[in-house]
Amino acid sequence: MPAKIVSFNLNGRETEVMIQPMTTVQNLLREQLGYTATKVGCRQGGCGSCTVLVDGEPMAACLLPVENIAGKEVTTLEGITPDHGLHPLQEAFFENFATQCGYCTPGMLIVSKALLDRNPQPTRDQIIDALSGNVCRCTGYEPIIQAVQNAAQRMNGHQGE
Amino acid sequence: MTVKSYFLPQSLDEALGLLAEHGDSLLLVGGGTVALPLINEGVSTPEKVMALPQAGLSYIQRANGTVNIGATSTLTQMVDEAPFPILQEAARQSASWTIRNMATVGGNLFVPPPSGDIATALLALDAQVKLVSQAGARLVPLADFYSGFLANVMRADEILAEIQVPAPQGKTAFIKYGRKAANTPAIVTVAAHITLDGDTVTAARLALNAVGLHPLRATVAEALLTGNRLDEATISAAATAAAENCQPFTDAIASEWYRRKMVKVFVRRILRQIAGEAG
Amino acid sequence: MTEPKLNAVGQSIQRRDGLGHVTGKTIYVDDIKFPDTLHLKMVRSPVPHALIKGIDFSEAEKVPGFVRALTHEDVPNNIYTILKLIGVGPDEEPVLAEDRVRYQGEQIAAIVAESPEAALEAAGKVQLDLEELPAVFDVEEALKPGAPILKEWGTNYFVYEGHHCRRVRYGDVEQGFTEADYIIEGRYQTSPIEHAPTETTGCLVKPEANGRYTVYTNTQALFFSLDNSALILNLPFNKLHFVGGTVGGGFGGKVDVIVEPIAILAAMKTGHPVRYVFMRDEEMRVSSTRGAWRMYYKDGVMADGRIVARQVTSYADAGAYNRHTPYAVTKHAANVAGPYNIPNVHIDAHCVYTNRQPGSAMRGFGVTPASFALEVQMDKIAETIGMDPWAIRFVNAYRNGDIKPHRKEVEDATLIETMQAAAELVGHPLPEEYKAMHSNDREGGNHG
Repeated sequence: MPAKIVSFNLNGRETEVMIQPMTTVQNLLREQLGYTATKVGCRQGGCGSCTVLVDGEPMAACLLPVENIAGKEVTTLEGITPDHGLHPLQEAFFENFATQCGYCTPGMLIVSKALLDRNPQPTRDQIIDALSGNVCRCTGYEPIIQAVQNAAQRMNGHQGE
Repeated sequence: MTVKSYFLPQSLDEALGLLAEHGDSLLLVGGGTVALPLINEGVSTPEKVMALPQAGLSYIQRANGTVNIGATSTLTQMVDEAPFPILQEAARQSASWTIRNMATVGGNLFVPPPSGDIATALLALDAQVKLVSQAGARLVPLADFYSGFLANVMRADEILAEIQVPAPQGKTAFIKYGRKAANTPAIVTVAAHITLDGDTVTAARLALNAVGLHPLRATVAEALLTGNRLDEATISAAATAAAENCQPFTDAIASEWYRRKMVKVFVRRILRQIAGEAG
Repeated sequence: MTEPKLNAVGQSIQRRDGLGHVTGKTIYVDDIKFPDTLHLKMVRSPVPHALIKGIDFSEAEKVPGFVRALTHEDVPNNIYTILKLIGVGPDEEPVLAEDRVRYQGEQIAAIVAESPEAALEAAGKVQLDLEELPAVFDVEEALKPGAPILKEWGTNYFVYEGHHCRRVRYGDVEQGFTEADYIIEGRYQTSPIEHAPTETTGCLVKPEANGRYTVYTNTQALFFSLDNSALILNLPFNKLHFVGGTVGGGFGGKVDVIVEPIAILAAMKTGHPVRYVFMRDEEMRVSSTRGAWRMYYKDGVMADGRIVARQVTSYADAGAYNRHTPYAVTKHAANVAGPYNIPNVHIDAHCVYTNRQPGSAMRGFGVTPASFALEVQMDKIAETIGMDPWAIRFVNAYRNGDIKPHRKEVEDATLIETMQAAAELVGHPLPEEYKAMHSNDREGGNHG
């Protein structure tokens, strides 16, 4: 079988993998590398649970062949989580009850991080627009929006407003 | 059957060479946002796939007012770089941020209705597509590109490399009506480009989507607008004509009956919007 | 009076799984991987009602990675029903279809293969010889003479202690109607609702060295699933070890015993771990819904707002199989007259089979459709007789000690207090007589 080698940066670490042609980043992460924080919801690009960052941009890992990310920086939730403690976004989600079953949470966090990286003080509408590709069936979204607003405040130096 | 060969050509020439070599066993893919779901479901089982996003076709070039958009420019590029406001608006209302980062303008010309928001806007702007083969290149007006449902006039040895968009001379507007405010398939989409001399319409382009086999121009409605004042009577007649002269379909999103009603509502709305802006 | 020392009551307590969720460390079924796992894909009926004349696996067997196929002949006790263990019978649903299929998407044969792609390809190459039968999709059509019949016992309804519906009889509605100043009718219809959890239904079965099977599953009903699996597979209960409780969205959509029995059987037959996880289209089109309900109300109402007679005829669309619907209909019958004190009540609640996707549990199923219908009916009564919609409810509200139509005494009633609190919250002024009402106050009420 015609396997190939692809090099890329995964969560800050230079990584080399051997894949079958057109393996998706979702399958690579979950089936080959054991990084299961990136979830499977639909394999259609419709639910957002598989969102990863590629050079800082959110993309659907279920639709992304590994060959396409050669040489790029891929960030998953495992890469955002510090070895000890939590990223302010994670703190905000936890404290604002922005997670119930937890299944959409990795995707929500990834997109929220990408949003705050480019727009540290997003309006409520901007948050909603950024997250419009992430489906949550449990929370009704309001706690998630509040968590992102809260995280923005934390990351801009205001504590718990 | 898993894919046996996946090509990521680094130039258009390389892509054309691969196309010549592998012929119709090769599935061409842009951002993958339409092809990968079908492959993931097992509905599409290609042996060989060629993806174009790294073939040097992601540029947006301006030349004497015309904008040449590389076929693999993403919808996010349309939002961020905004060659024209109507293209920015159409891209902004497509899918989600995550999908816009991957989906391409060129790819949008190959998707089934109700998808095709940016294609609809391009149709209203009299865009032309540049089809390239190893034998040469030709320009085809987008209005002549579609030949049916998921069918077009491309030859098997051609790649759609670029979309050329002349600067709009008049006022443009874009409305997508869906069941949600974002990330939703269209019930109907309307794009309008109306050129006025005083309050008389000198040129009218009205593109609709989700009401036929592909994005289409409401030519009967356009004829009713041209040469007339953009007043309530003209607008109403055009809206009625647009609704009568299209073939909406029923799907999980909306019924044929409802789509047809909404064509009238949104054509009226978009023309009123343009008339309002005109003064 | 000393305040009791409270550690948790009145506090905001953090979710104990919240940290796992926000760090991505929570383990869901599909996050668990074992080497040499085989993948199961189901061959499903493309039509709503048909006889199965034959199944041809020859093309499927040629797909590289194909391991084996399973049919109903491989299943020790193929016919079951989910609530059999609490005595809600009869067994009527096949694990894998036998001679016929009764809904589009019904499971016919399981394909086990070395990869999900191979399983999907092989499943697509199984050839089915089906003789289509007329199908019925409407609950009232299904009960008419001449309708296509779904059940072996010859009807399209569930039998409740010898009767064709769940019946409640209290007082004499016909008498009530003759005394009433108004007769007000209504027809109410709900749609089926799909839970659409972000995580699809699924399980992973691992044969252990000691002869047991560990079943990692996202079912909401671990014990139901374990017990039913053991009965279906003729296994001692202690051969199965179900591990679960982490569910990526359930809402009642993961309470049916659907994926575990066949996946366990595949693991038993192959000696390999077997994974059976729904794809998104299966979750949306095949997994059970909250079934649709149709309800007809006929109320006899006095000019002062008292409802003196209520007759409800309702039809639950169970789809092709029981699952939880017979139980839901019983719950429904106990609630469909509403939290009101009505002296004459007649309820016929039918559990009807149609060739639709089976309905099952979802968030108050049986009662949520009833609440919708009965409260709209209350508003309709208010509008018809020219009375305030709040007043209609205060006048008819039940109180502690009242007897409900199914002869259960009302205890812990709080309807009046809830309405009073709601009115205050929204700033709706209530007449003093309603503000003075109390659920313990028999004098203020109306009871027969």
